[in-house]
Amino acid sequence: MANKIFDRDTLLDLTVNVVPLFIIAFFVVAFAVLSPFGIDPLASSIQFGLLAVPFVLLAILTYFAGRAVAGSEQSGEVYLPGQAGVRGAKPLEEDHGPAAIDPESTDDAPEVEGDGEDDADGDAEDDADGDAEDDADGDAEDDADTKDA
Amino acid sequence: MEVNGQLALTVLMGLFLVAVAAWLARVENWRSYTPVAGGGAFGQKDSYGSEEKPSGVIRWLTTVDHKDIGILYGAYGLIAFAVGGLMVVVMRIELIDPGMSLISNTFYNSLLTSHGITMLFLFGTPIIAAFSNYLVPLLIGADDMAFPRINAIAFWLLPPAALLIWAGFFPLPDVIPAQTAWTMYTPLSTGAGAGNQANAGVDLMLLGLHLSGVSATMGAINFIATIFTERGDDVSWANLDIFSWTILTQSGLILFAFPLLGSAIVMLLFDRNFGTAFFSGEGGAILWQHLFWFFGHPEVYILVLPPMGIVSYVIPRFSGRRLFGFKFVVYSTLAIGVLSFGVWAHHMFATGMDPRLRASFMAVSLAIAIPSAVKTFNWITTMWNGRVRLTTPMLFSVGFVSNFIIGGVTGVFLASIPVDLVLHDTYYVVGHFHYVVMGAIAFAGFSGLYYWFPLYTGRMYQKTLGKAHFWLSMIGTNITFFAMILLGYGGMPRRYATFLPQFATLHQLATVGALLLLVGQIIFVWNFVQSWLEGPEIEDGDPWNLRQSGLYTAEWDWFDQKQQTAIADGGDPDDETALTDGGHVDEPADDRSDA
Ligand code: HEM
Ligand SMILES: [Cu+2]
Repeated sequence: MANKIFDRDTLLDLTVNVVPLFIIAFFVVAFAVLSPFGIDPLASSIQFGLLAVPFVLLAILTYFAGRAVAGSEQSGEVYLPGQAGVRGAKPLEEDHGPAAIDPESTDDAPEVEGDGEDDADGDAEDDADGDAEDDADGDAEDDADTKDA
Repeated sequence: MEVNGQLALTVLMGLFLVAVAAWLARVENWRSYTPVAGGGAFGQKDSYGSEEKPSGVIRWLTTVDHKDIGILYGAYGLIAFAVGGLMVVVMRIELIDPGMSLISNTFYNSLLTSHGITMLFLFGTPIIAAFSNYLVPLLIGADDMAFPRINAIAFWLLPPAALLIWAGFFPLPDVIPAQTAWTMYTPLSTGAGAGNQANAGVDLMLLGLHLSGVSATMGAINFIATIFTERGDDVSWANLDIFSWTILTQSGLILFAFPLLGSAIVMLLFDRNFGTAFFSGEGGAILWQHLFWFFGHPEVYILVLPPMGIVSYVIPRFSGRRLFGFKFVVYSTLAIGVLSFGVWAHHMFATGMDPRLRASFMAVSLAIAIPSAVKTFNWITTMWNGRVRLTTPMLFSVGFVSNFIIGGVTGVFLASIPVDLVLHDTYYVVGHFHYVVMGAIAFAGFSGLYYWFPLYTGRMYQKTLGKAHFWLSMIGTNITFFAMILLGYGGMPRRYATFLPQFATLHQLATVGALLLLVGQIIFVWNFVQSWLEGPEIEDGDPWNLRQSGLYTAEWDWFDQKQQTAIADGGDPDDETALTDGGHVDEPADDRSDA
């Protein structure tokens, strides 16, 4: 099933938080396999709890943040951050609205798990090229501006 | 007899509190604070912005305008910065020579304690609140904060907090300054033993700290409410600027961290005054450390996230391009927010806790370094091949990145247990966190102060002085704190008023660096005050030429509009026109009497 909100682009943005999640997971496995200090019911459960709790909380927050940001990207105009309130500001060129509407899946609650990674279907691809943060190559490169203060 | 007297006093106090509560309940229409329950569509919108402000001191005492409150926070923070800075100058002079006796050892300890608390709670948090109060409503297209009066209350709790924290230094009979260090470790801070820390000065300091925590919490609730509910129509989550994101995350951290500090402080006060034994029994010392650091580590991120937001905001404007990986920065900010609650015991590796727990804290501490590093790479990539304009705010932002790298890398080393066991409680730790708090947080503060100087003063600062300020600060910071890192490698323990002769050279270097910093800050004060009063007036709303590169943002647009309306009269321009919010549907259903 196509995932409307967690398209490839959004997942890519979220990888930044997957890395710390991975590091924590790595240590969970390492401590479980090697258990250098032995296993003690109380101490070990706190030990793993201290890893599991941040892991779970971070995963949840990442999910909701991603949903809020990507969701509002699709439901409204996207401006350069900080520019939405500027009089006469123009939204960024690429239009996320229509491109993201996927006729097949309208009622599904967005989910990141499972179908996320392999979800590189066409319509997600369309708007994968031009996000605000991706094309950071200075579009104002040529009009020289050296004002200083 | 005595007991009766105390009893009477207690009863009297109780009656007084009831009376206050009753009076408050009568004098204020509490309904008006809850628009949903109150019936009328009441928002702050029509009641504050358009009112004529009184003039002179009264205006500043009564203001509920977020911009005025931002300026109050800023003034407060800078005064505290001066106080804390002068305290440390005295300490550094004392450390020029091991035999120096400018001040007594106990007075050194007092200065050390106050320096830390002043810088973290009276400078750090307020200076951030200065930016957030002034800018967040402008950036998100709100008319003001969600609760303007709570905003004012939050600020006005701070001056008494400072007086309480500094009370020991005032000529009060029998009150001496606290000498507990900012961490207030027990049993010393319970007043146990033969020391002098049972003194009322410590109680006053704790109360002041508590008050500053209440203030920060009120501010945080306000920001969360504002950013969630008061955003302009076009400002969706996808359009929220990076500074507001960091303020939102910071507010979340404050909301979970400061009440815990407050509770721990109350417990400590009870131990000191009412004979409880939370922290004096077996395991009490460790309990305090856990409670304190569960607050304390998030606190360091409370202090660093918004400065990261400022830097993420400033660097692209002077690189002529957008922030590279904007969303990486947003999500990693949130990640830091969550993970910062899972690392507290890396401050306690040396306490002999169970090695399994210690290992877990190390793992999360290493994980939290990733989001910080991601941001660093984003800043560097933003500048890479950009058209960098080295204005003063940009210099301070670049300085931030440079110093934050050293501060962060030394932090990662400390997060490794074996390394920490060697370096714990040495000057290395002092060097590490000063690279972050001075080299990064204060630098970002200056970056913001210069960047938005035209916005809040309508004038321009003197750029040569600004650059002198930067270079003196940059060089001073690196001399002082790199010397401390080396001192730490040499084994110099922290928090001592003297040292062994072999450390003399590095200590002297650190003092020289501190004096350079002092000169730099004097230049800053001169530049800041003089330019505010007499600097060249800014005429157009785009002093940094951001329109050209398409990086113009909402707060300058507000400023631009203010410039245009201000021509008409000398009075305050009506903010109502400042931002086309579109969200104003409130009828003037203001049924409140003027308050
Ligand atoms: C890159 C991530 C960071 C890591 C892994 C890290 C790690 C550490 C560790 C392990 C300690 C304890 C050292 C000891 O006492 O033995 C420490 C101390 C400290 N760090 Fe960091 N740190 C990091 C970032 C920061 C930041 C961003 C700040 C400030 C905003 C900061 C402020 C402090 C402070 C104030 C202390 C000293 C507390 C005290 O004992 O008085 N650190 N850090
Ligand atoms: Cu920490």
